[in-house]
Amino acid sequence: MTEKIKLYDDSKCTACRGCQLACKQWNALAASQTENRGTYQNPPSLNANTFLLIHYQDYVDKEGNVKWLFRKEACMHCTDAACVTVCPSGALHYNKATGTVGLDHDKCIGCKECVAACPFEIPRWDAATDKVYKCDMCESRIMNNMEPACVKACPTGALSWGPKEKMLKIAAKRVEKLGGNATTYGDKYVKGTHFMYVLKENPAIYADIHKDPSVPLSVTLWKGLLKPLSLLAAGGVLGGAFLHYMIHGPKYPDLPKDENTEGGK
Amino acid sequence: MTNHWVDFKNSDVILIMGSNPASNHPVSWKWIQHAVDNRGSKVICVDPRFTQSASKAHLYAPLRSGTDIAFLGGMIKYIIDNKLYFEEYVKNYTNAAFLVNPAFKLPGDNKGVFSGFTNGKYEKDTWSYQTDGAGVIRKDPTMKNPNCVFQLLKKHYSRYTPQLVSKICGTPVDKLIEVYKLYGSTGRPDRAGVDLYAMGWTQHTVGTQNIRTMCMIQLLLGNMGVAGGGVAAMRGESNVQGSTDHGLLFHIWPGYLGTPSGSLATLKAYNEKRTPKTKEANSLNWWKNFPKYSASFLRSMYGMNMGLEEAYAALPKVDDGANYSWLSLFDQMYKGKFTGFFAWGMNPACSGAHSNKVRQALGKVDWMVNVNLFDNETGSFWRGPGMDPAKIKTEVFMLPCAASIEKEGSIANSGRLQQWRYKAVNPVGDSLPDGDIMSEIFFKVKELYEKKGGPHKEAITRLTWPYGKMAGKHFHYDPRKVAAEINGFFLADKKVENPTKKGEFKEFKKGDLVPTFAWLQDDGSTSSGCWVYCGSVTADKGILPMRRDTADPTGLGLTPGWAWSWPVNRRIIYNGASVDLNGKPWDPSRAVISWNGEKWTGDVPDGAGDPGKGRPPFIMKPDGVASLYGPGLADGPFPEHYEPLECPVEKNLLSPQKNNPVIKRFDKPGVGSDLDVYSNVGTCDPRFPFICSTYRVSEHWQTGVLTRWCPWLAEMQPGMFVEIGTELAKEKGIKNGDRCIVSSARGEVECSAIVTPRFKPFDIDGNMIHEIGIPWHFGWITTKDRTYSPGDKKAEVFTHGDSANLLVPTIGDANTMIPESKAFMANVAKKGVK
Amino acid sequence: MQKGYVQVTDSYERILHWMLAISCLLLCVTGLGMMFQTFNFIGYLFGGLKSLKLVHNFTGLVFAASLILVIRMWWKEAGVFVFPEDLEWIKVAGGYLWHVDKVPETGKYNPGQKLFFLTVVGAGILMIITGLIMWFPTALPAGLVRWMYPLHALGFVAIFAFFFIHLYLGTIGNPGTVPAMLTGWMDRAVLKKQHPGWLKEMEHEGKLVVYGEEKKSGAHGHHA
Ligand code: SF4
Ligand code: SF4
Ligand code: SF4
Ligand code: SF4
Repeated sequence: MTEKIKLYDDSKCTACRGCQLACKQWNALAASQTENRGTYQNPPSLNANTFLLIHYQDYVDKEGNVKWLFRKEACMHCTDAACVTVCPSGALHYNKATGTVGLDHDKCIGCKECVAACPFEIPRWDAATDKVYKCDMCESRIMNNMEPACVKACPTGALSWGPKEKMLKIAAKRVEKLGGNATTYGDKYVKGTHFMYVLKENPAIYADIHKDPSVPLSVTLWKGLLKPLSLLAAGGVLGGAFLHYMIHGPKYPDLPKDENTEGGK
Repeated sequence: MTNHWVDFKNSDVILIMGSNPASNHPVSWKWIQHAVDNRGSKVICVDPRFTQSASKAHLYAPLRSGTDIAFLGGMIKYIIDNKLYFEEYVKNYTNAAFLVNPAFKLPGDNKGVFSGFTNGKYEKDTWSYQTDGAGVIRKDPTMKNPNCVFQLLKKHYSRYTPQLVSKICGTPVDKLIEVYKLYGSTGRPDRAGVDLYAMGWTQHTVGTQNIRTMCMIQLLLGNMGVAGGGVAAMRGESNVQGSTDHGLLFHIWPGYLGTPSGSLATLKAYNEKRTPKTKEANSLNWWKNFPKYSASFLRSMYGMNMGLEEAYAALPKVDDGANYSWLSLFDQMYKGKFTGFFAWGMNPACSGAHSNKVRQALGKVDWMVNVNLFDNETGSFWRGPGMDPAKIKTEVFMLPCAASIEKEGSIANSGRLQQWRYKAVNPVGDSLPDGDIMSEIFFKVKELYEKKGGPHKEAITRLTWPYGKMAGKHFHYDPRKVAAEINGFFLADKKVENPTKKGEFKEFKKGDLVPTFAWLQDDGSTSSGCWVYCGSVTADKGILPMRRDTADPTGLGLTPGWAWSWPVNRRIIYNGASVDLNGKPWDPSRAVISWNGEKWTGDVPDGAGDPGKGRPPFIMKPDGVASLYGPGLADGPFPEHYEPLECPVEKNLLSPQKNNPVIKRFDKPGVGSDLDVYSNVGTCDPRFPFICSTYRVSEHWQTGVLTRWCPWLAEMQPGMFVEIGTELAKEKGIKNGDRCIVSSARGEVECSAIVTPRFKPFDIDGNMIHEIGIPWHFGWITTKDRTYSPGDKKAEVFTHGDSANLLVPTIGDANTMIPESKAFMANVAKKGVK
Repeated sequence: MQKGYVQVTDSYERILHWMLAISCLLLCVTGLGMMFQTFNFIGYLFGGLKSLKLVHNFTGLVFAASLILVIRMWWKEAGVFVFPEDLEWIKVAGGYLWHVDKVPETGKYNPGQKLFFLTVVGAGILMIITGLIMWFPTALPAGLVRWMYPLHALGFVAIFAFFFIHLYLGTIGNPGTVPAMLTGWMDRAVLKKQHPGWLKEMEHEGKLVVYGEEKKSGAHGHHA
């Protein structure tokens, strides 16, 4: 496996939304009726037909300098993906060639377990199909040696795609060049994401960003502890009952043998 | 564009002023980012609003809409005061040393106008140069003579002090200086700067002068003709360059040949008038070839069906002094002067300034043909808001046409690059390529003229139309044939002397393609539909715009084998100015052309004669040098700051002349109509206290007639919004997302409020002045609440609101009549609140 | 039916009991099918994982409904402990786990059954609440919804364990009690040993329905 990473560099993103459009086009996703609510950002949030959303944010720093921050939100393709961990059907899976996280809609049963588990709140459930949707890193493209559609569409080079080691180096170099509060985002979490950011500003100031995302404790508890525990409990109870029966035997009421009855006569 | 899109990567300083490429020319940012990443280039953004481009710029400076000349005039002063100009370049390649008529007066000494202002117009006799007995212009190479262009320039802009400019523009002085300093740094031979402009500069009553000011700066800094330099007119539509080249505008024929006026009765008179003359010994004066281009154009129209004079007589002329620009056309239409009207790939009901007037005007014609992909606000104007269909007599015909991907053809982009496009899919339904529709109409009209006769019937009946053949019931137009016609042919066997090698002759056969425009003839033996495109189709290599070679020998991104650019595949025009008098590139690391001892290498040289021979490089100018002093324009040889017609200030701080003195006011008796009203012209009008500017977003295109029907795009930008500064919103009790009414003296539109710190109030001479901004892509046809008749197409995703142009005044630039949509006065209020 | 048998449950009770029991079993099985990918094969029994999910979700509704009715029905008899009798019984664990000579008298349901009942009620309610939230996860913040999964699993562990203990004790581990929930009749002698308190009370109140004897009054059972 050559792990691959899609890198988003917000210092180069002009919010042209070529990527958002390309994602819709490649994945043949429907548009929804929206309205301007006082921002360029639309649809308001990710949804079953929007796997990629450019965020727009006015920001005034302490010195009163105005900034316009953009951020591309999409599945982070975690190395330790809570969604894959919880997915009961195997619909969510690791792509063995790239380490990204694919989603096989034929398998998805719409249980929405991934919806709650994802530390980045990515998967979105659709009532009409009773399935969950998210960016699959354009699996149909990357498995055919093409870059993801959003990367292809990006005119500025804010999006790029390549082998993990190389991209990590590029990201580190870029952060160094940008200086100031610039930092990478993604590589430090969930054992490293396959979609990561270079952020020019301190991550804390980006609206709706997940600060310190990790595989939720609940998922670890559940899948790491309770799952085996329940197996153990189930096994234990069955085994215990068997043992009890073997050693102790059934408990009959103290009655004359002939009056004893079995079952519903 | 003097250069081309890829050339942005060669710039050291990129000044974004009068445009917002991050939003509106998104792909251009590829090259801007390239420059930043690889050259360490700096990006400056000057805009009333903190735009997407500003968000990526290294330096942002706000300025009040309509004050660009003040801002740039200040820059000229700074460049001169601090000796940042490129002296050798200025001295040799511009008219800086020319001596001007001593009677010429600058506005500073003449109540805000140049000498010669009478009856709302300039008499230009005092604007002339001093000449010696032989008619040669007198010069002072030391540039010290008080009447020389350089000294006049210096004097003129000495009034534009940073303090005064700051009071006019609302730009803090320190920001001004920061911009001046950074951009002025490109005056060094080893640095280049470019300005990217678009409608932010053109749509003003001083639009042409806005651009001229920048051109002058570029000349002072030696940035014209060099890689990474130039002035980049980023076209708002992929083929506007092509349409201008091919004479879409009223004042020019294809190839920038001025449209003849009625008083020029003969071709001879026309050529005489249009062919510039010079007494400058070394000047090539390329336009001396004018008669060759006019003759070849006439031949492309009528072939050998008519003689040249006859052909000239057949073509329509404009009335002397008449103006046929958009504003005038719709004014006349509103006054009932038109019978019929073709809206071809246009949506004037939304794109026309003062759209209410335009919509009314459409009701005054007998018929209208709307050629478009979709129904639009123009075709359906009769059932639009406020219209009573019963009272409208206009009969509307809808001709559906093919989209760009449904037909073959070419476009010419801002970089003058003509690129071929192939057909991908068949047209939908009954729609046809525009060429087919035009051909059908042509043959029908021709037939009618032949049968019934009529005035000037030969103008139509004797046109040549060898562009295709009948395919079933339709005449199928072949764009490849048109491409060849544009290039031009020899119409007779002829032996011609090689224009670049005296004494060498070449034989041409009738029907041969003309190799380049240098071979065009004035005797009617050649044709060329548009001389600047001559050389784009060759006998051996075919249609050059089809080429797809990405090789880049110079490393400057010239890619000479990719498509074809006019003229003669030159990628950077005026590149003769990128080398010194001895032919050495000013900046060898960025050499556009260089002399290898025998010939020029690199780009196709422009104006460069053999090194050392003293030929001045701006060969399209009669005197061979670029014009710091430009006596050709209607409103003055130097740009001067005038306030927009509708403006928030009582007076022009620079002079007693408030507005551009030579603009055509439509509110004057006998000029416009009852609908042409303005506010804030003489005194401030409290009803409309805010400056309003229109602009575009990435997601929509023009009036949105194509993009509003695309659900993905409508989803991202679903309707009219108004961007309002946080301070103003607070004052007006408007919250983010509130529905608001933006109104002007001419109309109103409903918008959603985007309350943002990105719009800051301006401190204009101590007054707090607010500006608001609205996009112009919307229209009622794709809204939800309009009435729908059975069979009407509904947008998959509805948009909200109507055209921003409902608010824009009928007032245009003094030279081009482009409407002033970037600075007019308006009000904004929460919906339902007065 | 033999003479001397006593009617201990009516049909309403029994139907509810089995609704609860079957839905519970079905939920356990389908739940397992979703919880472990290794158990995905269970999905095939239901025509695919997707229908398995649907079966689970809607069975959950049946379970919820049954549980509510069951609580209303049995709360008085099985939901509250009575002291000191129940305590006594607990001390000897009802004689289930080891043989005791004398089982302390208890009501109709002994504390073991009460404990079971309360566990089912508690865990059941937990399962219903967490389950519903999991069904509609977007209604609440993800941070909260996430915790429903371990809770649901925890509830499952509890219910599953108790379910099998109950199943075991009620069947092979404790013969004679199955008929009570199948036919509704039970041997008076067994009753006397296992639920002497209830028997006495019923006798005292004259509500006892004995097979072959004329009914003394309306059958015991549900009065809702
Ligand atoms: S971001 Fe969420 S959906 Fe994407 S891989 Fe990580 S856990 Fe899964
Ligand atoms: S909703 Fe689909 S993808 Fe998500 S966990 Fe359930 S089965 Fe897997
Ligand atoms: S990788 Fe593909 S699916 Fe994912 S955001 Fe980009 S375009 Fe959309
Ligand atoms: S395409 Fe690139 S520049 Fe445009 S919004 Fe997406 S990431 Fe940003």
